[in-house]
Amino acid sequence: MASSPNGAASFTVLVADDNEVAQRLCKRVLEKAGYGVLIAADGLQAVDIALAQKPAMILMDVAMPGIDGLEAMRRIKAEVPAMPIVIASAHSMASDRERFLAAGADNVLSKPFRLADLISIVEQLAQARST
Amino acid sequence: MGQGSAFGTRILVRRATPFAAIAAIFAVQALADAQPVLAFPLYLTVVLLVSMQQDTVESLAVATAAAVAVLLAPLAAGAGPADVATAILLGAVLFGVALGLGALSRRSRATASEAHRRLEELAEAEQKLRTTLDSAGVGLALADLDGRFLQVNPALAAILGRDRDGLTGTSLVDVTAEVDRPAMVDAMRMIRHGDVARWEGQVMQLRPDGAEVPAALFIAMLPGAAGEKMLLVQASDATANRRADALRECAAAVRQVIASSPGLEPAMPELLAAFRENLGWHEAHYWSSRTEALTAGDELAARAWQAGVLAAEVGAGRSAVGVPVIDTGDVVGVIELSSRTSKRLSDDEVSMLSRAGVEIGQFIRRTETAQALRRSEADHRAIFERSPIGIARIGGDGELLEANPSLLLMLEHDVDTMRSSAWPDMMRAYDQAASRAGKPTFLAGITDGSCVQVRAATGAGRWLWLQLTATSIPDSTGRPEHVLLMIEDVTAVRETSDKLAEALEAQRAAIANLEKLDTTKSEFLSIVSHEFRTALTGIQGFSELIRDGGLEPDELRAYGGYIFNDADRVNRLIGDMLDLDRMESGRMTMRATDVDINDILMEAIARASTSTVTVEFKSDLDARLPIVSGDRDRLIQVVSNLVNNAVKYSPEGGMVTLTSRVEGKYALISVTDTGIGIPAEEIGHVFERFRRVRSGAAQSIPGTGLGLTIVKQIVEMHGGKIWVESAVGHGSSFHFTIPLAPEGAAALQLRHG
Repeated sequence: MASSPNGAASFTVLVADDNEVAQRLCKRVLEKAGYGVLIAADGLQAVDIALAQKPAMILMDVAMPGIDGLEAMRRIKAEVPAMPIVIASAHSMASDRERFLAAGADNVLSKPFRLADLISIVEQLAQARST
Repeated sequence: MGQGSAFGTRILVRRATPFAAIAAIFAVQALADAQPVLAFPLYLTVVLLVSMQQDTVESLAVATAAAVAVLLAPLAAGAGPADVATAILLGAVLFGVALGLGALSRRSRATASEAHRRLEELAEAEQKLRTTLDSAGVGLALADLDGRFLQVNPALAAILGRDRDGLTGTSLVDVTAEVDRPAMVDAMRMIRHGDVARWEGQVMQLRPDGAEVPAALFIAMLPGAAGEKMLLVQASDATANRRADALRECAAAVRQVIASSPGLEPAMPELLAAFRENLGWHEAHYWSSRTEALTAGDELAARAWQAGVLAAEVGAGRSAVGVPVIDTGDVVGVIELSSRTSKRLSDDEVSMLSRAGVEIGQFIRRTETAQALRRSEADHRAIFERSPIGIARIGGDGELLEANPSLLLMLEHDVDTMRSSAWPDMMRAYDQAASRAGKPTFLAGITDGSCVQVRAATGAGRWLWLQLTATSIPDSTGRPEHVLLMIEDVTAVRETSDKLAEALEAQRAAIANLEKLDTTKSEFLSIVSHEFRTALTGIQGFSELIRDGGLEPDELRAYGGYIFNDADRVNRLIGDMLDLDRMESGRMTMRATDVDINDILMEAIARASTSTVTVEFKSDLDARLPIVSGDRDRLIQVVSNLVNNAVKYSPEGGMVTLTSRVEGKYALISVTDTGIGIPAEEIGHVFERFRRVRSGAAQSIPGTGLGLTIVKQIVEMHGGKIWVESAVGHGSSFHFTIPLAPEGAAALQLRHG
């Protein structure tokens, strides 16, 4: 937000997660790192916000009420194919990771995660975008 | 000549004698000067004698002489007319006597000469007969009624080997060989009694040297001259006949043996005996191989084998013949006959033996074929009799012709029951099974090896599965004559296969169950790990933030709260899972005590009210609800779970109502909310683990997903039931029952007393 130290506020991350604790954690960590954060509490909301506000990337949970994260991703990618979407799921078996990448995810973040991993994934995408 | 003149002299003397006698009488009369009357008897005597003996002329001459003599004397003496008349009268008497007697004697003489002539003729006839008898080739004899020979012709004597004189007085029975003697005695008796007029037969005659000769005898009763009866015996040497008979008999015996014997082996001794006994050979041997004969040094047999025709050797002390046994042109054996005497073979015997050889050859061929056939039939019979498979022969009209022991044993029927009822039933079953299988019925079209399985009851009432295999057997014209039916008891196989199929089905179900269980377990694991990781995400993330420091005190407090809540959630999750596991595995024990359900309901309302302000609580409790027997803590768990759910899924301003009442032998408790309700497609699954309703407004409602599963387990452990009624947008009603304690009524009274 405004407190962003490196003026990267223009790089906004949409955090789509039905778990409030996870929402707060991500929001706290990413804002601290200087990114803008949008929150969606379910899949439909995520699609709406993603298409309306065009965040720089999306951090997407899978197990959400309504449409799940993968369906939301499919719908968003259908509209904005270049939108980077990172799946952040507690479904963290090896097969799950493959499944998510095959579904079109740009990256996968297994829950629970180290804060540094979250920041590093977002940073990579931010840098890729800035170059 | 001399004899002739003597004969003439004798006649002269005889003729002169009467005249001399008359002259003498006349002389004596004249000398004595006697009256002629006195001399008359003398004259008369002479005339009488002559008339009786001499012919008429002679006797008349003598009578005339006598009459002259009688007349002469009176005339010479010049006697008176009376004397002359007397003399004339006397003379006339003499003459008359001579005349009468002459006629008389003439007649008697004629009769006598006739008789004489007859006698002579008879003698001549007898002579002729005797000559005929003597020269006849056939033996002839006359015998008395006891069979003693009166006359025997040379031929008969020759046949009997005795001289004619020796035979006279010998009896027919005496000259008969021992063997035929009874028959002879019998024959004599029959003829004597007039039972038969004549008797014919062939008997062995016994010669003095002990040899026996076959003779054909003909005996007939003859009327004798003096009224007594005699026997005419005609005999002929039947040796030649005998020989022919022997050949015939031998051939007949051979045929008899061939016709009655099952094979060469038993037949051969009898055949050899037939040759020996009928044809008078001393030894008979059968060579069944040429090599054998050669090895034995029997060249005759080998020669007969080689030539294919009869071979004979006749020596002084030994005769032998080799008769080839011929089967369709090939010599298959040689019968060798030998004799210790010189024995000539007649043409008849040769041809008879040759024929016999051919017949025996044909017989060998027949018996070999028949034996092969018999063996084959015996094999089939043995199969039929001893086969463990049931076999039946069915006639063209479907009637049971024959059933083997295995079949009767298998079906526990005797053959009559089998024929009258069991088989017709089985045939119907066959037809039904065949038509189901699209095969022709038993009689409509018997096809080879057509096979069906049918159910059939045994005589003892057991039910069997039978496999019927029908094969039609054609007659000589190729039309199906009967059907061979093989019947196997496949009950065990069927039952085993049925059991196997059942077992297989059960196994398949078990596998499916296991797979389902496995899938459920994987899903469960996946869900559980997801739940844990979700909870840990907050715990790990916020604890990392705290660890890294630099946080405001209120931030710290908030993050500590998140960590605590998630840790608590993880703890509850673990507790629920362990509870469920214990309940499902039956390891959870209930501590049953008297429980007042109404108390629990009131406490639950009180507890929920303190933590929830958005929902209103209402209770409708039956004050007369009896005490139940149960685990108080677990029942509290059930009620609070249901109340918490009701609160969670109720919107702000919603109402949660708790009711209790008696329903038969149960306490019925209901927790009703005015919440979002459960969709129809979800309502059947609400009690399944992790089946949280996530759709629509329920999405954000937290829970372990195990609560209702645990609730259901607890209710069922108490012997109760739980169910749910719901309408989306109107709310849900969870109902459960807990059985009343048996002493519930008393306890109720106690409580209210």
